[in-house]
Amino acid sequence: MTRRTPLLAGLLLGLMASAGLAQTIPSYKQLVYPPLKQVKIPEPTTFTLANGMRVFLLEDHELPLINGLALVRTGNLFDPPDKKGLSSVMADVLRSGGTKAKTGDQIDEELEDIAASVESSMGETSASISFNGLKETTGTVLRVFKEVMTDPEFRQDKIDLTIAQAHSGIDRRNDDPQGIAEREIASILYGRNNSYGWTIEHADLAHIHRQDLQEFYHRYYFPKNIMLAVYGDFSTPDMKQQLEKLFADWNPEQPPVPPFPPVTAKPAPGVFLAEKSDVTQTFFSLGLLSGTLRDPDYPALEVAVNILGSGFTSRLMSQIRTKLGLAYSIGAGWGASYDHPGTFRIVGSTKSASTADAIRAARTELEKMRTSEVTEQELKTAKDAVLNSFVFFFDSPAKTLSRVMMYQYFGYPSDFLFEYQKKVAAVTRADVLRVLQQHINPANLSIVAVGNPKDFGKPLTEIGKVEMIDLSIPPIPAVAVPIK
Amino acid sequence: MLAAQSVAELQKSFEKKVTEFTLANGLHFIVIERHEAPVVSFHTYVNVGSVDDPGSQTGLAHMFEHMAFKGTPTIGTTNWPAEKAAMDAVEQVYDRLDAERNKGPHADTKKIVAISNELAAAMEKADSYVEPNEYDRVVESNGGEGMNASTAEDSTNYFYSFPSNRIELWFLLESSRFLTPVFREFYKERDVVREERRMRVESSSQGKLIEALAATAYEAHPYRNMPGGWASDIEHFRRPDAERFYKQYYVPANITLGIAGDVNPAEARRLAEKYFGRLVARPLPSQYRTVEPVQEGEKIATVSSPSQPFVIIAYKRPDQHSPDDAALAVLDSVLSDGRTGIIYKDMVRDKQMALGAGSDAEFPGGKYPSLFLFYVAPSSGHSSEENEKELDRIIQQVKTTKVDDETLRRVKTKLRASLIRKLASNAGLASELCSYYVNYGDWRRLFSELGDYDKVTADDVQRVAKTYLVKEHRTLAYTYVPGADAKDDSKGDSKDDSRKEGSK
Repeated sequence: MTRRTPLLAGLLLGLMASAGLAQTIPSYKQLVYPPLKQVKIPEPTTFTLANGMRVFLLEDHELPLINGLALVRTGNLFDPPDKKGLSSVMADVLRSGGTKAKTGDQIDEELEDIAASVESSMGETSASISFNGLKETTGTVLRVFKEVMTDPEFRQDKIDLTIAQAHSGIDRRNDDPQGIAEREIASILYGRNNSYGWTIEHADLAHIHRQDLQEFYHRYYFPKNIMLAVYGDFSTPDMKQQLEKLFADWNPEQPPVPPFPPVTAKPAPGVFLAEKSDVTQTFFSLGLLSGTLRDPDYPALEVAVNILGSGFTSRLMSQIRTKLGLAYSIGAGWGASYDHPGTFRIVGSTKSASTADAIRAARTELEKMRTSEVTEQELKTAKDAVLNSFVFFFDSPAKTLSRVMMYQYFGYPSDFLFEYQKKVAAVTRADVLRVLQQHINPANLSIVAVGNPKDFGKPLTEIGKVEMIDLSIPPIPAVAVPIK
Repeated sequence: MLAAQSVAELQKSFEKKVTEFTLANGLHFIVIERHEAPVVSFHTYVNVGSVDDPGSQTGLAHMFEHMAFKGTPTIGTTNWPAEKAAMDAVEQVYDRLDAERNKGPHADTKKIVAISNELAAAMEKADSYVEPNEYDRVVESNGGEGMNASTAEDSTNYFYSFPSNRIELWFLLESSRFLTPVFREFYKERDVVREERRMRVESSSQGKLIEALAATAYEAHPYRNMPGGWASDIEHFRRPDAERFYKQYYVPANITLGIAGDVNPAEARRLAEKYFGRLVARPLPSQYRTVEPVQEGEKIATVSSPSQPFVIIAYKRPDQHSPDDAALAVLDSVLSDGRTGIIYKDMVRDKQMALGAGSDAEFPGGKYPSLFLFYVAPSSGHSSEENEKELDRIIQQVKTTKVDDETLRRVKTKLRASLIRKLASNAGLASELCSYYVNYGDWRRLFSELGDYDKVTADDVQRVAKTYLVKEHRTLAYTYVPGADAKDDSKGDSKDDSRKEGSK
């Protein structure tokens, strides 16, 4: 190497260093990515047991675990109006109340001794019983799962416990301002004559008795009304055989379950205020009934509402949080459901003094998007976010299996997700404008605010005529309701 | 029963999937291969938390966490030189404002108003060069999932997942934001952070209670402050404060990166050298924090709230390296794991005086001596006092009566099973391995700690209960309805009559 003067060498080194830095680190815009590997989408094995129960199996040998979910066609929507909450109490006690042979407490110990679990839950239009455990105790876990699902005893002490807890839950229902806002807007949007919108009161719980639980259970928990998914470390032929043997003696029959009652509420647009004194923020929710995943405009609406309020680059986030500093939490979702109109909502919270400003700003962002097309960059970002993260829909066997079951349960075509992907890719700026104009009219919004009006500064009436929400919790009636 | 051998086998086969390396500047990488799906999860674990917040600047670690999403000189701006000049101008005006305010009673209020207007204008000018949320947009549009961050007492964590063909983008973005973060929109974000406190603490009776508990249980050690910081501290943050904090604590040797999923370790190493090699080594900061003096007597904190009551009881316990740590974890599990925990069975299931109740072996962190917590939400018609008495009775019970063999076996089986379940998630793996490496020096401790749990005897559980759950080291915190007597929100054990119609 030829000698250079130290000064020159230093200069050259310096130049080389900075040039080197500038050369080796590209801008993210210059990065080129290899094509994404093909996702291996596993296909579950499906078959029907002799008793009519449909089964889906998927092997996963990565870890010595086994998991399962039985999906039952029932839901809160089937609660008789004079026995609100029945289905949820039933689902709870199905697990806690034990079986004919064992108490729930005994089952708790049996399961936890082997680090396994069996749990039961109830939703609006589906119910489930799930299990999970270690591979080496598969036989025991399956047996307990089957016992719980097929032979619940609904012991009175556990009914009493669940109902006592429900009473306590009612007493605590006004302690969380976010919870209040969600509950109240659901009531306003769905009406109070169905389980989407009604609120369970102390008096309702007095009408729920053991016989009701048993009747509800027998009406809906029968093999032809259940789909069972199992995934984990097992061999398919072995598991098939195990399940056939296990459920061979379970053959109750019931008439097919009727369709769920449709949502017929006519929500009332307006501004509704629930007073809560011990908060320094107002929690707000602006909403209207949305649609289902089947709607032809659903893909465009997802893209549109993503641009409005999903993630940091959305209009709501960048304006109300980043630019104005008015909120930590602000966002929107189209909220479509599989089988009933969901709710479009803008949700957020802001310090009490900026209540009117924040709500007005949120409504303004919606209005802007209904007046002018979004930018090319916004559209691309929203579509890319969906299309480039598509692989995450398939990143675990559990997700794949759950999706297969859900689509079958709600009657969706098995390629629904891929069709959705294609439609998202085709959404244009004009589509975004059109669907917002057609489906989300700010004049139709119901606006719920939960906060302390004494600290609002600008009154909420600046947003519109305000109707007060009565948060009081009706007490237990003094006279006990006779057992039916 | 899950044999110890099968856990050893699991560790052996798992070890084959892990590659570790440390760059010259001190950054440590842990790469875990899981090729089941073409996705990768990333986790950046910074060994700094709210315990490092400077005095009168509580919440600063959390404030920086927000700043880490604001971009760099090349991401998030339309004109960096102009923006930088405008940002510096903001600080100059703010310095003049503070100088006037610092005069205290001699300050000229007219001058303060004038400088404040100047400051607002200067901020608007600086903000005008911002390309809003560009950093987030790049991650989202490239298929990023689950992007978030969190600040706790002991650590700050940044994480998200990408499709596996976007690995290089993560290396570029993550290294850049810790190499040259730009603290743009600082004062707007300060308002956002203030809103976060209003949401999480000030509008939540539980949030307020936990804050009061920590501040009472700890008199000297910074575990007394919540990660979100006190309100006025947030309101007084200056950008240079956050910059100083970043320089002092975000040094390469304080940062560990976890990468789990469809990744090639050799490729990861090459990219790590290329992108993260740019960070310059700086000395590790001191880990010394004021040692909390021994608690000499019981303490009480109360929060008045119209909400239904909540009770927390905390006992002083040693840090995570104590030889008693495993026994305390087992005690916690015996007390409140699942449906068979003693507290659940007694207070929720059998006596029905609690809607929910349980324990937590280590709050709020593990690096320094912490707290063994109990918490209760009394059920309607049952008082906080009644529940507190029952918890005391249970605590007496575990001090005087040894746990039976079946219970101990059950707890240890569950601890082993929960380890296996942790291995099923890329994001979980990336996070856990970083945490074990930083706190214990070796990610293998995720497996080896089971050995410590296995060695815990019924005698040990009884001993740690006797040693640590003592009145002199206890802090009681509860909410009460203002107007009612502090500790008497119901009469005795009977159902509360005031709920019945007709009575007042």
